[in-house]
Amino acid sequence: MSGQERGVKKRYRSEKKKDMISGYLYVAPFFIIFGVIGLYPAIFSVYLAFQKWNGLSPMSFVGLDNFRIVLEDPLFWKSVYNTIIMGLMGTAPQIVVGIVLAFLLNLTFLRFKNFFRITIFMPYITSMVAVALIFSVLFSNHESSLANYMLGVFGFDPVNWSTSEWGTKIAISIMVFWRWVGYNTIIYLAGIQSISNDLYEAATIDGANKFQQLLYITMPLLKPFIILTVFFSTVGALQLFSEPTIFLGAGAFTRDEALTVVMYLYRDAFKLQSFGTASATAIILLVIILFFATINTLITSGNGRKKKGVR
Amino acid sequence: MLVFSLAACNGNDSTSGDGGDEEVTLNFWAFGATNYEELAKEYEKEHPNVTIKVRSAESAEHHDALFTALSAGSGAPDIAALEVDQLDRFKEAQGRFENLYDLGAKDVQDQYLDWKWEAGANQEGDFLIGLPTDIGPKALYYRTDLFEEAGLPTEPAEVESLINSPEAFKEAGMKLKEETGKPFVDSIEMAYRAYLDASEKTYLNPDGELLLGEEGNDVKKAYDYAVELDEAGIVGKLEMWTPEWANGVNKGEFAAELGAGWLKGWMEGNAPDAVGKWRVATLPTEFAANWGGSYISIPSETDHPQEAYDFVEWLVSPDNQLQSFQSKGLFPSATSVYDMEEFKTNEDEFFGGQVTSTVFAEAAQDIDGAVFKGVKYFPVHQEVLNALHNVQEGGDPEKEWRAAIKRAEELIDR
Repeated sequence: MSGQERGVKKRYRSEKKKDMISGYLYVAPFFIIFGVIGLYPAIFSVYLAFQKWNGLSPMSFVGLDNFRIVLEDPLFWKSVYNTIIMGLMGTAPQIVVGIVLAFLLNLTFLRFKNFFRITIFMPYITSMVAVALIFSVLFSNHESSLANYMLGVFGFDPVNWSTSEWGTKIAISIMVFWRWVGYNTIIYLAGIQSISNDLYEAATIDGANKFQQLLYITMPLLKPFIILTVFFSTVGALQLFSEPTIFLGAGAFTRDEALTVVMYLYRDAFKLQSFGTASATAIILLVIILFFATINTLITSGNGRKKKGVR
Repeated sequence: MLVFSLAACNGNDSTSGDGGDEEVTLNFWAFGATNYEELAKEYEKEHPNVTIKVRSAESAEHHDALFTALSAGSGAPDIAALEVDQLDRFKEAQGRFENLYDLGAKDVQDQYLDWKWEAGANQEGDFLIGLPTDIGPKALYYRTDLFEEAGLPTEPAEVESLINSPEAFKEAGMKLKEETGKPFVDSIEMAYRAYLDASEKTYLNPDGELLLGEEGNDVKKAYDYAVELDEAGIVGKLEMWTPEWANGVNKGEFAAELGAGWLKGWMEGNAPDAVGKWRVATLPTEFAANWGGSYISIPSETDHPQEAYDFVEWLVSPDNQLQSFQSKGLFPSATSVYDMEEFKTNEDEFFGGQVTSTVFAEAAQDIDGAVFKGVKYFPVHQEVLNALHNVQEGGDPEKEWRAAIKRAEELIDR
């Protein structure tokens, strides 16, 4: 009897166990892959940050030397400056433009909605390399390049888009903006569609125009989505790498006008064979990203709190 | 040998016929435009037990992939080509390569140019990392149409006797600029390389110390000469390999190029409008130098060092270097090739029927001594180039020079 009972219990337990095991099996692929290509390199990189290593010879422990070398290097600070400037120019306008575009795409009287939505999302799914190559043609230093030609139409002198201090930054920011604005727009659009239509109807009856509706209904209710996109944009902007690297082509790692922090790190590791300082840079970058992401999230979530009028 | 192996595999192509040699597969990583794939096929015919897989990539990608594989300790090929400017980076990891002296390289040493051979060995001279393939002896490429317009001679022999010193080079350039309005040299990098490539001591010494700041440094001489040419107004802004530069070679936007032997192959393939317009002349001795070229090494991960070595030795033999030269313009480093009839009578249609091979062969034999480059040669070189570009944009030469030294010092400390 009791034996049978135990058997039942046992079986019951093993059912539970089976469930547990199958649950773990379902999530295993992600964690195994993440462990191998995400977590292990990250931990190894922390270890490397305290070593001097050229990739082939034996490592030697140097303590905090790598951090000192990086933090004393004017080029590093130049790269931080470049990254922040390009991040601001490339991502801040996106938030504003993205919300306005999403609002327009959601208007009831707009025709061919799907066509516009797909078009606006297109840049994001276009190959990064193709985008950067096309932009490097549009913004070539030559007087006949499209960008310089347009400037000429308005009576400005041609700009050296790949070698001047502001030309490079502006060209790359435009590219980043163009590529990511659709992505943010789609997120905002999803947010807008989750807002109940009753609010707008009530506002229309109260005599609010479209702009007022955007300002007093859409914006406040989109707050969680704005926080999300600001967070992603901040992290993405500080990790800017592919766009400037391909845009600048051969001169990417030999000039400093548009050198970003990740490019600086890459140059250390793969051009100068200094994996220790590169890893140290990666850790410093992590700290910078945490700092800015926290600040930005605080600002955006704090902004809505002042406007208690809505609710 | 060939006859024997043909006889051996006559009629039985499935089983190996020559005395139970084990089946060997060799992975061979090469880069750039070579005929190594065809040569490997030929070798496979002679050695039925050997299979060679050739993988060719673009230079930077090839060296980075090789470096990564060596660093990881797995995935390196059995045989790998190394470019001369990248060599020191790999020599540092001598332990990851087979010493070719142990595999029989001593026996073929006297077939090759001394300076080329020496650069493939370590400082002590007891370790050989690679066997020499091609070299890049420099010569003066010049446009006959622009020279004619400027009232300069166009025959190679006359050009040689006119431009026989750095001063004469500058004077000819100024005359040409005056008459045609075109720059003489395409870019400040070329003007700088004139003396630089010919210097035996460049940026670093074998201990990895920076030589730039020292009095009477050869690099400074090269730098000053480039600045001097730029001030004379005869240096253009067409950077090598850019589309603008390619167009310039094609359309004659500049008159002269201090180019290596391999440039000829590029021109023939990429400058269709310039057929018959370029000629090649020997440079002044001060500028006689080598630019580029490669070695073939054997990473120690291989399970078949001896088989790999036997193939490499065969691949870079004089006869095969002649083939590589004829098919891809890889300039031979085996001196006996220079006396071969097919080599000496190789008329270049692109150069108006001129036999350019002998000009380069002469240049190759004018070079004395191996140039030491060092692990961080490339990044330091870039910093000096940056300084020169800034000078071209109106920067002060001395100030830029000092800034370049400072930046280079920061690179060295890493």
